[in-house]
Amino acid sequence: MNTNTWLIRREFWENRAIWMIPAVFGALLILAALFGQVSIPKLTSPLEMHEAAGAFQVIVGVMFFVVMSVYSTWYLLDCLYADRKDRSILFWKSLPISDAKTVLSKLLVGMVLVPLVYFAAADATALIAAFILSIRARASIGSALWQPDVWWQIQVLWVYSIVTTALWYLPIAGWLMLVSAWAKRAVMLWAVLPPLVLYILERVFFGTHIIGNVFARRMAGWPWAAFNGANHVWTEGSGVVDNNGVPVTVWHLINPSGFFTSAETWIGAAVGIALIVAAIQLRIRRTEI
Amino acid sequence: MAPLIEARDLTKKYGAHVALDRANLNVEAGRIVGLIGPNGAGKTSALRAILGLTHYEGHLTVLGREPFRDRTALMNDCCFIADVAVLPSWLRVDQAIEFVAGVHPRFRRDRATAFLAKTQISGKRRMRELSKGMKTQVHLALTMAIDAKLLVLDEPTLGLDILARRAFYDALVNDYMDETRTILITTHQVEEVENLLTDIIFIDKGRIVLDTSLEDVATRFAAVAVKADRLDAARAEKPFYERQILGKVVLYFESVDAGKLAAFGELHTPSVSDLFVAKLSGGAA
Repeated sequence: MNTNTWLIRREFWENRAIWMIPAVFGALLILAALFGQVSIPKLTSPLEMHEAAGAFQVIVGVMFFVVMSVYSTWYLLDCLYADRKDRSILFWKSLPISDAKTVLSKLLVGMVLVPLVYFAAADATALIAAFILSIRARASIGSALWQPDVWWQIQVLWVYSIVTTALWYLPIAGWLMLVSAWAKRAVMLWAVLPPLVLYILERVFFGTHIIGNVFARRMAGWPWAAFNGANHVWTEGSGVVDNNGVPVTVWHLINPSGFFTSAETWIGAAVGIALIVAAIQLRIRRTEI
Repeated sequence: MAPLIEARDLTKKYGAHVALDRANLNVEAGRIVGLIGPNGAGKTSALRAILGLTHYEGHLTVLGREPFRDRTALMNDCCFIADVAVLPSWLRVDQAIEFVAGVHPRFRRDRATAFLAKTQISGKRRMRELSKGMKTQVHLALTMAIDAKLLVLDEPTLGLDILARRAFYDALVNDYMDETRTILITTHQVEEVENLLTDIIFIDKGRIVLDTSLEDVATRFAAVAVKADRLDAARAEKPFYERQILGKVVLYFESVDAGKLAAFGELHTPSVSDLFVAKLSGGAA
């Protein structure tokens, strides 16, 4: 194994929450499936079953995604701060590992590996919960929640989401890591305060909302940037269809051609890279607090 | 052979505060060098510069490299213990060994495990569960298993009890040190290390006050317990420090002929601690 692999193992050793939180969250959802009230309308047509299976998996995935967003934010904010606070950075820096490798390993964990763990946990949870529900409500749904072709489509959705969130949220990740490498205390405050001050100053002095809009768009705009939500309508009997009445699959929903050609994506990514380069430079210069 | 560490006009400023003020020092291979100074003298700043942890002004090479630019490569040949309390609290002993074995090309795992086998420390323990003395042993096991040319220790025994301190230095001298290695130790507790050092560097207020080998100390410095009637004559030879103990006056001389001094009273070579006090109380005479 090379240094990079060891750095990543190190992150999993230190942050056992990476897999413990999704494991506990999944266990809670499975408990809910076991003992919660089940009132599922009877599914009759194959189409309904199909859509129910897809919707079920997506709902579970979105719940994990929300938990993951909170965890990843915390992780990125803490990852270059914790070892400065307890001075263990002096141990890590006594080893022949470049600061760039260290910072990038943490970025990779926060932006790609943590999401992978969460989506794997979401899949496992959905599978077990679907199995439980299909027994508890066998009269109405039977094995409807298990649709292999839907399951594969959802995997495409997860992978696409991981790639696009990693790019879209790169400037936010870069900012969090910069604060983490820089702040002497109160990382959370330093992460929130400067953008907030900029927003207020702009409002007070210019009466405009440009900065606020840019921030809001970056925080919440990923689904609009990465997905193709337009013109999909629910119709009785054929489910969600596009303009031409063709049932919608994952390939209609994702919008890679739009996302990967948008200037917004790449400007954001460039800002993200600049912030990460700055975080690496700070990591080289700052040792203890 | 070029010195292992060579600093010329090494300067480090924190805002208006000058932590290192055009310091010059040389460390030769195969020596055990004590960098000794009172708190806040610039010891840690000097070490941070040598280890590539901080930016500095002036010329500095360590093992032929510029530390700040080449820290990663430097750490292949140089290792350091900056206070043993810095092992991360969540790390398990076996993980620490695995990790260092994985990332350090010169780490010899068998040596680390052999060293730890002599202790009572189980591999499954986390650092937070270990006493400070045990952590020291883990850190030493990790460090001594690295075939490094230079070992830097920054106040390594701070906060340890006397037993753990003694064990630390014994292991260092008996199990680690040989002619291929060089050790640089900073401390403000001179008594603790003076028996193992081959060289001493005194630092005060960011400046190097003295940089010498212990062999040279004997020829260069002398302390004389001066007889009362010879005091004025002795003072005329310009001692750099004067001290009264139990009614006797002891004068400290640098580079004054021993034959001449013997006439004033009983002559001896000052210990490192005495020399330290004498040098740093400077201008007292």
